[in-house]
Amino acid sequence: MNQVNPPVLSVLAGRKAFGGVQALDGADLNLFPGEIHALLGENGAGKSTLLKTLAGVHKLDAGSVTLNGKSFQQGSTRSAQEQGVAVIYQEPSLFPDLTLAENVFVGRQLQSGKFVDWKKMRREAATLFSQLGVDLDVSRTARGLSIADQQIVEIIKALSINAQVIIMDEPTAALSSKEVDRLFSVARRLRDQNCAVVFVSHRLDEVFALCDRMTVMRDGRTVGTELVSDAVQSQVIKMMVGREVSELFPKTEADLGEIVLEVKNLCSEGQFQDINFTVREGEILGLAGLVGSGRSEIVRAIFGVDTYDQGSVIVNGTPLRKADSARAMAAGIGLVPEDRRLEGLFMPYSIAANTSITLLERLVRKLVIRKKDEQKVAENWAKTLQLKFSSLGDAVERLSGGNQQKVVLAKWLATQPKILIVDEPTRGIDVGTKSEVHRLLSKMAQEGLAIIMVSSELPEVLGMADRIVVMREGRQVGTLSRDEATPEKVISLATGAAALR
Amino acid sequence: MSILRRATRFRELPVLLGLVVVYLGTGFLNPIFFSVSILNDIFFGVAIVATLAIAQTFVIVMRHIDLSVGSVVGLTSFLIGDLSSRGFSLLAVLFAALLVGATVGAVNGFLVGYLGLPSLVVTLATLYIVRGIFNEVGKGQTIVESMVPKELNWLGLNRLFGISYLFVIVVVLMLIAGVLMQRTRAARDLYAIGSNPSAAGLVGIPVKLRVLAAFTATGAISGLAGAVMLARFNSSSTQSGLGLELLVVAACVVGGVSIAGGTGSVFGAVTGAVLLQTILMAIGALGIPQFWQLAVNGSLIIAAIGLDRYLSTRLRSTNIMGASS
Repeated sequence: MNQVNPPVLSVLAGRKAFGGVQALDGADLNLFPGEIHALLGENGAGKSTLLKTLAGVHKLDAGSVTLNGKSFQQGSTRSAQEQGVAVIYQEPSLFPDLTLAENVFVGRQLQSGKFVDWKKMRREAATLFSQLGVDLDVSRTARGLSIADQQIVEIIKALSINAQVIIMDEPTAALSSKEVDRLFSVARRLRDQNCAVVFVSHRLDEVFALCDRMTVMRDGRTVGTELVSDAVQSQVIKMMVGREVSELFPKTEADLGEIVLEVKNLCSEGQFQDINFTVREGEILGLAGLVGSGRSEIVRAIFGVDTYDQGSVIVNGTPLRKADSARAMAAGIGLVPEDRRLEGLFMPYSIAANTSITLLERLVRKLVIRKKDEQKVAENWAKTLQLKFSSLGDAVERLSGGNQQKVVLAKWLATQPKILIVDEPTRGIDVGTKSEVHRLLSKMAQEGLAIIMVSSELPEVLGMADRIVVMREGRQVGTLSRDEATPEKVISLATGAAALR
Repeated sequence: MSILRRATRFRELPVLLGLVVVYLGTGFLNPIFFSVSILNDIFFGVAIVATLAIAQTFVIVMRHIDLSVGSVVGLTSFLIGDLSSRGFSLLAVLFAALLVGATVGAVNGFLVGYLGLPSLVVTLATLYIVRGIFNEVGKGQTIVESMVPKELNWLGLNRLFGISYLFVIVVVLMLIAGVLMQRTRAARDLYAIGSNPSAAGLVGIPVKLRVLAAFTATGAISGLAGAVMLARFNSSSTQSGLGLELLVVAACVVGGVSIAGGTGSVFGAVTGAVLLQTILMAIGALGIPQFWQLAVNGSLIIAAIGLDRYLSTRLRSTNIMGASS
């Protein structure tokens, strides 16, 4: 990276308000060609608004954006692309019914004369894919493509418009470590081609592994830009939250009680095989492994949303009927699902309605839901979980990711479960809320709750779990106690030790 | 494998196979079915629904629907007869029909595209509104043969190389619309909108404008289809075109134009219409009580949607990256 060159893109004192909320309040960002630049900040720090401004979705109220020395035209996604800024969103928005070739060129299909030239489009797309060293059939439709592959298609799309600035918004959130490695090598290749790559992530280790410089935002303003080589992780966190986060993963010792859940020889064709474990009162059992190793499938089967072929799930000595989530709930199990927007919440419903939805039967008198009691339940939990909101009647879609997750937790804790399953409990949540969630889980465990925690974040599993079950390709490849578990051990089990050394 | 994969990509294959099976099967049971006159009846009879199905494809690929077409086609068939009996030239009355259809389509398109109202409800409303206007305009009147422009009359009675001119119109329209849908950017945008509505705007597609344009085109063609209807029946009354919209949607769905948007072709829609018409004729030829026709149509729709779901879940389970890693 050569700082003598002028920046390819610079944002100066950007301000933007939505209604009464000041989303950007002095945002600065300078990007140089040939660098990978991390953009950090808690949820609500203004990263998304800044990204969306560069993507052409929003227009700043004040401040300037300069691209290659010229004023950047804001407010049109198409014009943002034409000017050379491409955004790869966390959840890529491909067109499932169109071929990969057409996805790359969608909205500006290659033509000969007035007509779309399919052959040329396929040829050019294939060339771009092979340049990045990715082997994908450009004539297949995008339906069924993994998230990682979808991101690659988006990156190819960015290359096809000769983007100088490529922004990746939390690209690794849903990738396995192998896919992350591939993405990193693609990002480095883009840097070598003199692109400016912006990398947004909540995972600091990734930022330190990949990026050259970082810009940290807080409360809508830029609080600092540093070379990654000069930065210290704890200080970065301090910059992000504006306070010291002393313990990120504060699981405290709890007295383990009786075995409450026993999983015996659980098998599901093509998903997982021979799963055996027990969970005790007050214990947090971590399920570690790569994305796609069958962790979510197991907990879904335990809770009865999916069925299984063989084996049994035993709660307090009584086998649970399979594929019956209503009975699982009655037996005291709760499941906080992986995708809170899709499976965890009714987005347009109020906080109160979402919190009390697991309790509806208890809140009904004479066929009518008692709104007062609903409100009371929601109020209690909002206080316990330190939920940030303006009114309990607000739709949950208006809350930040971290607060949404708290509502999902509240919904299940309200049922006073014996066993709580949490699947990626802190995905896409800022550092501050993350440690609150950890503290809460730890406290619930102390009070005797048995917790099964699925997590892709190694520090989270290592910090929180009393025991760790490691999965690889649908099999249980090891169980580690808290004392035995090290990052190296878990990773080598999850990836296959031979692969590591 | 590659042949199989290519076959599953060819979405019109199931409906074509269905058509062949029904045609050959019925002919096998009752050889009269293979006669030229039956074939003519199929082509002649399907023309209206096929024309409307071509028009309907534009909106269905956008994950929308236009239920107002039955009322539109009825109204314009009446207007064409009525206006030409008052001495207007054929060209002028056709233009009027096009204009009426395009206007209704533009209203639908504006309400759906710009105001974001659901197309199902909007076009249900315009279905009633247009029918209501029709009832007022055509109060008690009936267009009879003498009022039908003689050119349309001629088109309905004559054949080109043994094929009804009405079906020739369908084929020409299908070819033009087919090329446009496959090979122009604006039409490809419709597929993108239907495949992922929220992403379409993000890649710079002018979604509102496209929705407006597509509904307008659907309305315009449906308006012109009034001429086909008049040529076919040589009459029109306020009952004309009643309930036709559902048959049109059925033809599209059976022909592989997915109601979930993003896929399907005008060729498929026409083939779907021909299949439904062939089944109608087959039921007659086999002496099966007529009411079974509706039940068969219904079953076909479910079969088409089931097949659709099956194919897309099959595709979902293939992961190319997984295979290479």
